Amino acid sequence: MTVAQRTPLVEMKDINVAFGGVHAVRDVTIDLDAGEVIGLVGGNGAGKSTLMRVLSGAHPADSGVISIEGKPVTISNPRDAKAYNIETIYQTLALADNVDAPANLFLGREITTRLGNLDDSSMEAETRKVMGRLNPNFTRFAMPVKSLSGGQRQAVAIARAVHFNARIMIMDEPTAALGPAETGQVRNLVRQLKEDGIGIFLISHDIHDVFDLSDRISVMYHGRIVDTVNKADTDPDAVLGMIILGKKPDEVTQKELAELELRA
Amino acid sequence: MTNVADAAPVSGQTQPPARRSIGGLIAQTEIDLRLFGMLLALGLILLTFNILSGGKFFQPTNMVTLAVQASGIAIIATGMVLVIVSRNIDLSVGSLVGLIAMTYALLMTDVMPRILGMGPDFPFRWLIALGLGILLGAGVGALQGYIIAYVGVPSFIVTLGGLLSIRGAIWYMSNGAAVSGLDPIFQLIGGGAKGSVGGTLTWVLGVVGCIAIIALLLNGRRQRRHFGFPLRPMWAEVLLGVIGCIAVLGLAAFANANLWPKGISGGLDIPTGVPYPIVLLIGVTLVMTWLATRRRFGRYVYAYGGNPDAADLAGINTRRTVLKIYVVMGILCALAAAIAVARLNTATLDVGQSYELYVIAAAVVGGTSFAGGIGSIAGAVLGAFVMQSLAYGLSFMGVNSPGQNVVAGIVLILAVGFDAYNRRRGS
Amino acid sequence: MLSRKVATFVASAAIVFGACSSTGGGSAAPASAAGGSAAASGGAGGAGCTVAVSWNNFQQPRWAAHDKPNIQKTVEAGGGTYIDADANLVNEQQLSDIDTLISKGAKVLILLAQDNKAVLPGLKKAQDAGIPVIAYDRLIEDPNILYITFDNVLVGKAEADAVIKKVPKGNYVLIKGDPGDPNASTFLPSGWDQAGLKDKVASGDIKLLNGPDGTFTDAWKTEKAQSNMEAIIDKAVSDGTKIDAILAENDSTALGVVGALTSKSYGYPPLSGQDGDPANLNNVAQGKQYVDVFKNANELGKAAGAAALKLCADPKTLGLTLPDGLVDASVAPTAGLTAQDFKTPGGTTVKSLILQPTPLTADTLQTAVDAGQISKADLCKGVDAATAPAACK
Repeated sequence: MTVAQRTPLVEMKDINVAFGGVHAVRDVTIDLDAGEVIGLVGGNGAGKSTLMRVLSGAHPADSGVISIEGKPVTISNPRDAKAYNIETIYQTLALADNVDAPANLFLGREITTRLGNLDDSSMEAETRKVMGRLNPNFTRFAMPVKSLSGGQRQAVAIARAVHFNARIMIMDEPTAALGPAETGQVRNLVRQLKEDGIGIFLISHDIHDVFDLSDRISVMYHGRIVDTVNKADTDPDAVLGMIILGKKPDEVTQKELAELELRA
Repeated sequence: MTNVADAAPVSGQTQPPARRSIGGLIAQTEIDLRLFGMLLALGLILLTFNILSGGKFFQPTNMVTLAVQASGIAIIATGMVLVIVSRNIDLSVGSLVGLIAMTYALLMTDVMPRILGMGPDFPFRWLIALGLGILLGAGVGALQGYIIAYVGVPSFIVTLGGLLSIRGAIWYMSNGAAVSGLDPIFQLIGGGAKGSVGGTLTWVLGVVGCIAIIALLLNGRRQRRHFGFPLRPMWAEVLLGVIGCIAVLGLAAFANANLWPKGISGGLDIPTGVPYPIVLLIGVTLVMTWLATRRRFGRYVYAYGGNPDAADLAGINTRRTVLKIYVVMGILCALAAAIAVARLNTATLDVGQSYELYVIAAAVVGGTSFAGGIGSIAGAVLGAFVMQSLAYGLSFMGVNSPGQNVVAGIVLILAVGFDAYNRRRGS
Repeated sequence: MLSRKVATFVASAAIVFGACSSTGGGSAAPASAAGGSAAASGGAGGAGCTVAVSWNNFQQPRWAAHDKPNIQKTVEAGGGTYIDADANLVNEQQLSDIDTLISKGAKVLILLAQDNKAVLPGLKKAQDAGIPVIAYDRLIEDPNILYITFDNVLVGKAEADAVIKKVPKGNYVLIKGDPGDPNASTFLPSGWDQAGLKDKVASGDIKLLNGPDGTFTDAWKTEKAQSNMEAIIDKAVSDGTKIDAILAENDSTALGVVGALTSKSYGYPPLSGQDGDPANLNNVAQGKQYVDVFKNANELGKAAGAAALKLCADPKTLGLTLPDGLVDASVAPTAGLTAQDFKTPGGTTVKSLILQPTPLTADTLQTAVDAGQISKADLCKGVDAATAPAACK
């Protein structure tokens, strides 16, 4: 891939987040192009989710600049993020269990009638359309999402992200709770979204998924970015090394390499 | 939507398999089984007392008494549903009712004639007093809601503090005395023969209700056809319409069978019709149901109760939503206080005492869960009626208050236990 | 995060520490006895006589309006000093109050027991310190107290006397107070029986419509009395029986009964009550309540104040005599102005001054106005000029 002179879709520069005495994100700079998938990987507590929460508005950064298509923006709450067409699929899905699929899809962005009443019928119709593309067998539109299967709930969360013309998508462990068939569906969806020109930050601990879907891979360790590499220029072992040791491959000592091989 | 029990849901649902069993047929009508069950339970209670009393119990005048006695609690219970759904509680309602009741009394007996120059003949004095009471309720509710939602003090503590301090404040307002002598028009809010809408208007209300039910069914059907959702079978629609109309018109007829006492009607048979407190209750129930199911506010309350994080991440202003809930509670307390003080024509120091317990019981018996996210407004109203029918029935049969309390406690546990058992079985 | 915790703590603390209060009335005015410097132990019970009152629930309006001013006035007129404390319904607080009052130099203790057993340790402390104790209005089971009170049995008798005289035969409804309160379950009903209720029920002259025990009212709550009475009215109407008279034990329940009668448009059969609450006196003036038995607490306060002064002078003599003319004759004990022996329910014998209650009906309402219980304006609110009682003309 050529070093782009073009403006990235999203750029996060010198981001810092600290809370509760923990410096969760340190001086992180990362960018994303349209139609690109960046696999964001790292161990527990590396700061991946926190960094993405900054982008999704769930937790504003203490310092740093976010730019969208070159223009600096302020994202202080989830509404701001959505206004910039940033959609997030959270690891916990962030669904309200007691409410049904259309209500969840449109949560916070409900369709209303002229009088300001909820237009449940329209919302259900839209939901049927969107879910039809993702999961054609889904019929339980009036049941609370608590009674749906894991895969169906995932589909609702994805449908929510897809429906609102996202240009930037954050996916936090999208296949963690899914079986093989549904995982395949998610993979196909990611490829489809890429083709549509959507930029995706993909957080995953599944190295295969990361290598299958990503164009670039960013490794985080103790809040910092260790390195961002093109997929073609690296391999799973090197990435694993960066995740565990927090160092680029050429900085790793012989001793550490030996320990790594013992562990792996 | 399925977050609130609704006899005629607008959104579509997969057509259940057309089994030839009772269960299948009932499913096709899409009525809320839980609400229907409560209705049956209420009917059973009334029937039992009727049998035990040799047919004397189920008379129009007695049922009117029962309904008026339940009205205040039921009104507040419609709001308590939203409070509990949002994973909060409100223990201050009884004291707030007492505060506003005392305010009404002092306004009409002292402040208005003496300071504001509004004598007994001042037009709409009762309405102004009512309006001021509602403002006071909203204000106190906003204060509590602010401390709960924005400062972050748990609602149990805030409303417990409210319960204590407000009850104390009432004493200072009147120096410990009861205040009596309300405006005669205001007194009508409490019901009674004169405080009812009368025969003609009751029939009008009945007809309007029937038409409204049919319109709702037709509109629902039209919506579904428009969006291509599966339709309810025609026979189910007709059945619901017929039952609904019979119920509403039957209640109107029943209310009109309640006559003015011969002493004041001059020997004539004058129907009283529906008492004003019940009209108020019906209005409140409709408005609260509309708020809960057809407005974003209600949707956000339920979503927040189901998953507070999800609501926040969806960009909902959850703090403002919680604040609004307590404002609504304050307004409902003002309405219930009007009924209570009008019924007595006096504000005593203990008006409203223990209301919070009855209101919470009504909401919970009606299906609201303390885990949050689940609750039905119509259910709470039914719950209030179920609890009051027991209290009234036992009173009627001569059972003293210790006995009434024992029964109330047992019923509460049974109702909630049955609900929990059902839920566990269902999931 | 921290601010949230602080907020919670502050809110909780505010609630917990909000309880204590004193009535703010203890006047620290130095004894201004005729003739000079305060001697340590009083000669004629004047200078140096500090009378302490331990209230149990000063919140109730009656104490501030009637008892306290009269105790204080009588004590100070006799050259004594008045101090007090309020336990706000808490037993522990009362024990602590007694300690405080003793340490402030109390010579006599007037004690309204919150709980007549829980107060015994405090009583003992006072007695050990040589301080004579007057049990005011509420009995304490101890042989060494002077019991000054209105007799609740006599109150019940006055209630029933008036109503039975008006309705000697007919259907009666009995409305009682809180089932856990011995006044409601024992003393007042025993007064009703003394007035002849039991005999008339036995002979069939009076028929009880709501059971031999009547209907109790949780916590004496007015709203509960109202809903109970509504059910009773409904039952009577459906049975076709007429309610001829209603015996309610006190004014808060009587108010609920009137509410029920009004909402059912039933009319107003003769109804009893006690306490002389303004709202009820107004009802008497309007003809909605028949009799309100008024315990003139002014007189009780005077009696206690005078007794306290005597005890200052002579702490050992509990069988004292009140000065002539201090207490209104119609209220003074039937046995005379000297304290008599009284056998308590617990079997103890105490010295006592038991005052008489004043039953108020429409024609005797002026007494209430004269006693400062209610203003004429409040008494006559809403009274129809044509049917107005004497006090409103």
